[in-house]
Amino acid sequence: MELLNHDDGTWSLRKVSELEHLMLTRIRDAADPTGCGEAEQRLYPPPVAPRAGSGRGGEGGIEEDWRQFVQPELRASFGDALKVVADDIGRATAGFEDGVTRYEINVPKAHADHWCSALNQARLVIHHRHDLPDEDGEIDDDPDPEKWMAMLQSEIYGILMEFLVTRVLWLK
Amino acid sequence: MAMSPSNTASDTEIAPSVGTATRDDLAPPWQVLVLNDPVNLMSFVTLIIRRIFGYSEQKATELMLQVHHKGRAIVWTGEREKAELYVQQLHSYQLLASMEPVD
Repeated sequence: MELLNHDDGTWSLRKVSELEHLMLTRIRDAADPTGCGEAEQRLYPPPVAPRAGSGRGGEGGIEEDWRQFVQPELRASFGDALKVVADDIGRATAGFEDGVTRYEINVPKAHADHWCSALNQARLVIHHRHDLPDEDGEIDDDPDPEKWMAMLQSEIYGILMEFLVTRVLWLK
Repeated sequence: MAMSPSNTASDTEIAPSVGTATRDDLAPPWQVLVLNDPVNLMSFVTLIIRRIFGYSEQKATELMLQVHHKGRAIVWTGEREKAELYVQQLHSYQLLASMEPVD
């Protein structure tokens, strides 16, 4: 997969393999925290530090307001980002190169934030759902295939996100 | 008219002026914390801190490294309402963040 940042207000993914394309089409499903309480809690954390305790400065009210007003906004925003990305991926074009299928996706830079959001949501949910090791944690030499696939998926999303952050979105 | 024999200081004291203090004047400041997360990319955390708080790349990088090495960093301190807004913004980028009153 090649990642290119253009001067015409777009960026693109080129020479995307079938496997990479498959991973991209799975971003939306991967970002769904349904059935994984830890992932749900991570995407929508409480606003007040646990050690602050309740009753100091009216934190109890903040928590309730957060659930009622802020979290629905976050859910809507996260959902919008996933839809924008799914639509972009749906516009991928396929071609043949050296006998194998390669995809190309051209994306407006205005969508870069949506991509970062979607990729990050997916990485966070994958990490919790599959209990992947922390960055300094031990990597299982022989993980089960599902966990191995989850690690690969998270890795691909991480590479793409790093490109977006450092090449497309970075502040001058 | 006879002067009151009890013409004490309190009779001639001027009442202290009473100002109005807003709740924020009286309330303790709050601090916004970014907490370590093993998934979020370091570059992404730096970018978002720069974006939200307008910090220089150097300051944002220092805060990100503090989060990475010490588990948390205080990224802003001030009024509660602004702290809530900042935490909401940080959560909108999926950064693990919270707020607490300053001890």
